[in-house]
Amino acid sequence: MSLFSFLGTLEIGFIFGLVAVGVYLTFRVLDFPDLTVDGSFTLGAALAAALILAGVNPYLATLCAMFGGAAAGLLTAWLNLRFNILHLLASILTMTALYTINLRVMGKPNLALIAEPTVLSPFESLGIPNMYLKVIFVAAVVIAVGLLLAWFLNTQYGMAMRATGANPRMAQANGIVINEKIYAGLALSNGLVALAGALFAQTNGFADSTMGIGTIVVGLAAVIVGESLLNSRSMLVIVFSCILGSLLYRLAVSVALNADFIGFTTSDLNLITAVLVGLALILPHFRREWKARKAAQGGAA
Amino acid sequence: MIRCEHLKVTFNAGLATEKRALRGVNLTIPQGEFITVIGSNGAGKSTLLNTIAGDIRSSAGRLYFDDRDVTALSAAARTRDVARVFQDPLAGTCGDMTIEENMALAYGRGNRGGLRLALNERLRQLFREQLSRLNLGLEDRLDAKMGLLSGGQRQSVSLLMSALQPSKILLLDEHTAALDPKTAALVMDITDQIVAEKKLTVLMVTHSMRQALDHGSRTIMMHEGQVAFDLSGEERSQYGVKDLLNLFAQIRPDGEELDDDKLLLGA
Repeated sequence: MSLFSFLGTLEIGFIFGLVAVGVYLTFRVLDFPDLTVDGSFTLGAALAAALILAGVNPYLATLCAMFGGAAAGLLTAWLNLRFNILHLLASILTMTALYTINLRVMGKPNLALIAEPTVLSPFESLGIPNMYLKVIFVAAVVIAVGLLLAWFLNTQYGMAMRATGANPRMAQANGIVINEKIYAGLALSNGLVALAGALFAQTNGFADSTMGIGTIVVGLAAVIVGESLLNSRSMLVIVFSCILGSLLYRLAVSVALNADFIGFTTSDLNLITAVLVGLALILPHFRREWKARKAAQGGAA
Repeated sequence: MIRCEHLKVTFNAGLATEKRALRGVNLTIPQGEFITVIGSNGAGKSTLLNTIAGDIRSSAGRLYFDDRDVTALSAAARTRDVARVFQDPLAGTCGDMTIEENMALAYGRGNRGGLRLALNERLRQLFREQLSRLNLGLEDRLDAKMGLLSGGQRQSVSLLMSALQPSKILLLDEHTAALDPKTAALVMDITDQIVAEKKLTVLMVTHSMRQALDHGSRTIMMHEGQVAFDLSGEERSQYGVKDLLNLFAQIRPDGEELDDDKLLLGA
């Protein structure tokens, strides 16, 4: 693998680290499987690209993208909480609606950001080569978000959110208004995913209406890879294991695609992803069975 | 003080499966009184508790804490006054979170929402002190996952959690029913200690006649959604399990047999 493609892999890995922590918030913290992210990732990219092309400051455009994502999350939560639509289905509805909205936001299936200013522009005068600058910038953003999120999950509000997902009845008995926590959690999660989309559009120079397909699987893969590597009760370790999981996942995919003797091409990516996530889900299951069998044998002897 | 006025709860109103779980309960519990609630399955004991906690909305009647009408308040809002311990040891705590995090959640009851860190050294010290009362060695395992504890340990911690914030009312819903006799006795001990210390108004639902008479200062029996009888003072102190069973027979003149073994056995 060349240095250039290695740096590119790190960059994408960090960006999808944001997706991973967003997915961790919904799937693990709130126990709310949310597929909205496939739409909100693209929404973030589309909003940022369209606003930048309209002459808006890139930082403001990125902020708007985050709010757009948060609104999508709120919609999913509302469909689920107000009308009792199954969480998976509610998020699929939002995701489907977003596909059209994203096309409307962009006005066409894809937008290119070539000479336009981006969030990186203020740092270009520092004289760091662009390919390094992108990785450093993205890493700094993701690490800052990770630190903030770990702190948040240890605050009274964040802990109440964790209790909402872990044991809603107990949460309620301790005065936690659970619906409010679900709204807040989905908004935060999708806001982060939209931020990832906005950064992706600006570092890669385009937004495309289909770029969000499979975001949820990649996010989930990162969460699961991270969990199987680091098992901890510390929120800081858990949040960063999601980010690490995203990096490792990207590296694994990149290696698989670069190994000529296997003969994979980029169009095989989704199958590789599905197989990797499947393995990550299946292996712990076998490990438990194996342990149980060993324990049973030990007891008999 | 808790005051129920003609409290009614009807499930599935208007349907064939309509169930009138509470049929006009009138009950006044003075501040600091410990009431035990008995009755057969379906008598409305748990419904009464859940209605006071706010999990179930009453279809008629009013509910007062002190002189405040709380009939329209949500369960979360009522937790300023009400703490509870469930029958299922798994229900009162989060298994995925640590002991100290669970206690921090309970500590936030009534004044929550801040973006301040939920845990600090001062709180950990407080939690350690509280846990050391249990003599279970949990004070040295603050960062262990709750899910690793046994049912009895979890229930004991739930009790401590219910008393971390000043509240006026403690609702215990058969909180020893899922425990072995020895652990149940330990948990009842801690219950009595906490209630005496915090001068709480307590409603304890129990299936054990023995427990109902041995704890608290007043016993009510629920039957078909109403308070069938109300024992306290001198009269209560002379009652034994046998007398309670006779009372049971009286309110069931059709000679319906007690089908619940647990009701007969004094654990």
